[in-house]
Amino acid sequence: MENSTQMFWTGLSPDEAREALVNKNKSMWDKRMSLKEAVSRFIKNGDNIGIGGFVHVRQPVATCHEMVRQGFKDLTLSFQSAAMAPEILAAAMMIRPDHCTIKRIELAYWGHESFGLSPAWRYLGERGMIEFEDWSNYNMSARFKAGAMGLPFIPTRGPLGGDIPNTSRTRVMDCPFTGRPIALLPASNPNVALIHVQAADMYGNCIIRGTDGTCAEIAMASAHTIVTCEQLLDHEIITSNPKDIAIPFPAVDAVVQVPFGAYPGACRRHYYYNGDEILKFLGLISPMVKGGSADALKTWYDEHIFGVETFGEYIETFQTRKLIADQAAEAVHCQRLA
Amino acid sequence: MTVATDFTAQELIVVAGAKVLEDNKIVFVGTGLPMVATLLAKLTHAPGLIPVFEAGAVGPPLLHGLPISVGDSKTGTGASYMKGLNAAFELTQRGFADFGFIGGAEVDMYGNLNSTMIGEFPDEYHKPKVRLPGSGGTADMAASCERTILIVPHERKKFNEKLSYVTSPGHLDGTPGARQKAGMQGKGPYRLITTKGIFDFDEETKRMRILYTFPGETIKSVQAATGFELLVAPHVAEFPPPTVEEVRLIRETVDPRGIFVKRAA
Repeated sequence: MENSTQMFWTGLSPDEAREALVNKNKSMWDKRMSLKEAVSRFIKNGDNIGIGGFVHVRQPVATCHEMVRQGFKDLTLSFQSAAMAPEILAAAMMIRPDHCTIKRIELAYWGHESFGLSPAWRYLGERGMIEFEDWSNYNMSARFKAGAMGLPFIPTRGPLGGDIPNTSRTRVMDCPFTGRPIALLPASNPNVALIHVQAADMYGNCIIRGTDGTCAEIAMASAHTIVTCEQLLDHEIITSNPKDIAIPFPAVDAVVQVPFGAYPGACRRHYYYNGDEILKFLGLISPMVKGGSADALKTWYDEHIFGVETFGEYIETFQTRKLIADQAAEAVHCQRLA
Repeated sequence: MTVATDFTAQELIVVAGAKVLEDNKIVFVGTGLPMVATLLAKLTHAPGLIPVFEAGAVGPPLLHGLPISVGDSKTGTGASYMKGLNAAFELTQRGFADFGFIGGAEVDMYGNLNSTMIGEFPDEYHKPKVRLPGSGGTADMAASCERTILIVPHERKKFNEKLSYVTSPGHLDGTPGARQKAGMQGKGPYRLITTKGIFDFDEETKRMRILYTFPGETIKSVQAATGFELLVAPHVAEFPPPTVEEVRLIRETVDPRGIFVKRAA
């Protein structure tokens, strides 16, 4: 158990996070590059990775595939509620611990809602293979917000009363103004944020449709941000309504256009969940929770990640009619003139 | 209103959940059965109910049907306001949420919930018997919604005197003012809906109390499926079975694909 008297930072301390921005080239430069280049340039072994999206919405799935292809060790993953992004990274650790390892997870929820529990979380957690720190959705979101605000901590009500303060770096203090207990949560400043958005320009200005999740806060808190987008827009178009910009260019380091970059999860205006594929993938991991064989999962990684060069090749393994059906299922939610 | 004879335990829980919801209130809705009950309530007695989903959507009409996630695109369409998680939870902390509607894997007599781990705490926290997904937003809803409605399937192993982990605090240890002393807001658990009945929490002791038993259950059978002693309200009534119309709505309109409400009992 974490001793609650011990304080430590994962990723960057607030001072280091400040220093990282001071030293960064914050000018408007063309940040378009391949996902391969973005991942190799900005992610290092031991990094704390901030994962955007919410459960199966706008998860940075393509970026996680590329991370597995390249292989990283001792990662810390930080997120509020996530599904496929940690599942892809963690299941890779289950079959190739020589190539991919996660050291620690700071999270509110790792699961798949109507698609069930996370088998990779159960496998790693129940075997004591990773460190983790439980928080709530607001806790993690507020921790990223504190990081984005340039503050070392943020006061919140949740997680008062339960066990989260007993297993995390929460400090409970008496509010200096009301005298009542209040929880203080340490800021989260990841090394790298992974964010998938609907649209970006080449400088990294991002537009998000549907829920914002905590993407802006994660990007603003992190030293580097890798953005994948469905649509790459001209700067003049994306800034036609400046208040639409959820993440501004100086926070972004790489812009990669990746259609279906959150698939088989969902991306508003573009595609709805491919539940069959989500269940199929989880079904390859589940038997391992009870000690079953890793063969089927290994084959999947060989065919869909290690055996291909890009995420686009993985998308090409889906039937066109299924991709179109998932686009049509989403189009119903946001009808508009083309 | 014809009473249905063919219905499942989950359908009953959804009908009961819907009936507990009051029209024109703001309810912060957790994933799973709370979403189904909310949609049913909106289609029946509570068209003015205002759902808030933690991923950000406030007050969507849910015209495209049941969301399969609290971040589903279906929650975004027609929402009155939609930012992200911080904005949604700030609404709750500020006092905009009349109700929080949440579930858990384990509940105790004071309405505290566990959705983190099964095993000995704290020794097995880092290597639990079963690792559950984690709080999600339920700890925040529990700490800051004005009142909470809980949904837990009624099995003896889920109703325990001591939880493996308190993820979402209810009435804590039941002592007067415990929530306020801990720094939380709101009045805490208001109703618990299970597959066997509806419960409230005694004004004085904050202990779980039977209000209604579901068809086929008795106070005795409910107690037998509970790992602690239940209090019993003065006039425990049998909760009416769902109507044919309610069951039809659930099967044909609310959850036609059986995403959360399974057909088999």
